[in-house]
Amino acid sequence: MAKILFINPVVREEDVPRHIPYGIALLAAIARDDGHQVQVYDANAWRKGFDVVRQVLAADQWDVVAIGGLTTTYNFIKEVCRLAGEHAKDSLLIAGGGFLTSMPREIMSWIPEIDLGVIGEAFVTFPDVLKKIDKGDLDWSKTLGVVHRNDKGNIIVNTERPNINNLDTIPWPAWEFFPLEDIYFKNSSSLFSEEAYYAKRRIDINGSYGCNLICKYCWHLGTTGDMVVRPDPAGNNDVAFTYGRNIRYHSPDYIIEMVKQLKAEFNIDYVNFLDENLMTMDVYSKRTWLKELCEKWIEAGLQPDCRRLGVPFDEVENNGVFWSGTSHASLHRPETLKMMYQAGCTHLVYGLESFDKKILKNLGKGSTPDRNETSVAVCMASGIIPIPNIIIGFPEESFGSVRATIKSLLKLGIHAKPHFATAYPGSEWYYRYKDSIAAQYDGNLEKYVLDLGDATKITATISHKFSCMDLLGLQEIVAQRDLRLLDIAEKHWGQSDETIVATATPQISHNIIQDKTKTPLQK
Amino acid sequence: MSDFLKGTYTVDKEIVDETAKATIAKDEFKKKALNSIGGSMVFVEREKYVWDGDEEGK
Ligand code: B12
Repeated sequence: MAKILFINPVVREEDVPRHIPYGIALLAAIARDDGHQVQVYDANAWRKGFDVVRQVLAADQWDVVAIGGLTTTYNFIKEVCRLAGEHAKDSLLIAGGGFLTSMPREIMSWIPEIDLGVIGEAFVTFPDVLKKIDKGDLDWSKTLGVVHRNDKGNIIVNTERPNINNLDTIPWPAWEFFPLEDIYFKNSSSLFSEEAYYAKRRIDINGSYGCNLICKYCWHLGTTGDMVVRPDPAGNNDVAFTYGRNIRYHSPDYIIEMVKQLKAEFNIDYVNFLDENLMTMDVYSKRTWLKELCEKWIEAGLQPDCRRLGVPFDEVENNGVFWSGTSHASLHRPETLKMMYQAGCTHLVYGLESFDKKILKNLGKGSTPDRNETSVAVCMASGIIPIPNIIIGFPEESFGSVRATIKSLLKLGIHAKPHFATAYPGSEWYYRYKDSIAAQYDGNLEKYVLDLGDATKITATISHKFSCMDLLGLQEIVAQRDLRLLDIAEKHWGQSDETIVATATPQISHNIIQDKTKTPLQK
Repeated sequence: MSDFLKGTYTVDKEIVDETAKATIAKDEFKKKALNSIGGSMVFVEREKYVWDGDEEGK
């Protein structure tokens, strides 16, 4: 049986660690259940620097060192891979997750130490790979869902692996391999709602995979039916992301059993659903999934006491489990929200993004300025706190669209410092603006990827009209909701439209397929 | 044995965090200070201070 070291890279270093890496925790559980020897070094939780990473890599004779995370962990991953090349030379270095799946060919060429990459969903591919390693068979030419190098050192992307059909067959995450007491529970509190603020033992759960919407900034990790492998213009296989989806959700029973177990074992008081969007899942299930989940949450005795008694949260001792997730301005319904509130939902994130008609239409979000505006009140009326997210710097952003957003923010009483429209690898924006992005980084895309962090920071702009300088100013103007400053700025810049050289122009890309082609689903 | 590694068995090798406390304190201060930049709150990086007294253009 293989000896595996998982390393969870540091993410969002400016904040404390808050999220157990769900994907790694699931893969560790699968490997454990298959009888492998597993260790996890949660570098994000410990934040101890590279000297400790070095020691960890040298701490045993690992057959496999496995690392992966979202694109913004690239910096850290690159350094760990370099160190693995020195301190764990004989181990097979396997990478996976968002940073790799979004651009496997580039990552394999930028990080030569990676031996094998698992592309997209890893629930079957990763244990398959481990089985082959146990047999001493390192021929990856026929393994679905991987990127590897052939004898000549050429990078080869194999055909995609079908997504699994029944999510309930995967075990619960291996929470025991992560420092829950030492780190994660201590960082349970968040400022999104009173209940979330007083949370002492919060944990994340992912209940579903996929979202039917096709927002241009978003990406589905190649794990939700959104990815196929096709030849690029040079004839080499590459990933292509599509509008196809294999929407799947865990049964409410699977989720409830898991929460009950977490309550019994760790006495959790709060669950944060990582799901891309609870409301798109509700619609997909013909409004049955959330209903059943809420009913069973209450039946299982997980409903917080204040919600059962209908009193403010600080009037009673709450023994249940509060929870939160993501919603959608056009897809939520008052009756669903009411039910969610009853069951213990405290807040829902709404990606409202903009209040401009044209921007919303082009974005593919399926919302309108009116719906965005009413959504806040509709959600509030249920008792759940809406957490609206705003973006500026859309390709079509104009003074008019910024004005529309400020006016709505004023009307709704929202204070927000908007995110900058950022083309994270994997998203349609990224592939449509790849050349313009590279041009903003001396033609070097790796520099861009190294620079990516929170979208509160400006990196490459994809706005046609506004440059980084304009957007930095506009962000502050939106944060201050100051229409006077906006008017002055428009007077100054607004006339120069004809002479402006666009910072970004869209292109055609083989990495995007604008139809419903999808990853096959396991029979 | 150490807490840093968690898994299905116990790794014999001890992993020690030798990061000097001083560096941690310095890093933490820098992080906090940088987060509060604005108005009269500024932060000067000591390491970057390399001027050796030479006058410009000499
Ligand atoms: C939790 C989360 C976070 C957490 C971090 C979680 C973590 N420890 O990795 C926090 C809150 C910090 C975070 C931050 C951000 N996030 Co985020 N986040 C998520 C979220 C909601 C859930 C991730 C998850 O657990 N999914 C479920 C698990 C099962 O999937 P998974 O981890 O990908 O694992 C599977 C595979 O990828 C693979 N895999 C994963 N790791 C590994 C490792 C190995 C070795 C192998 C073999 C396989 C493998 O196997 C798993 C099973 O199939 C997703 C959206 C979503 N619902 O998925 C976005 C998502 C990952 N985030 C995203 C983004 C854009 C961000 C931000 C940049 C947002 C922002 N604008 O600021 C910031 C980053 C900030 C920063 N400074 O770095 C994007 C990813 C874009 C990208 N190109 O990578 C996503 C997909 C959202 C989206 N739809 O656009 N995020």
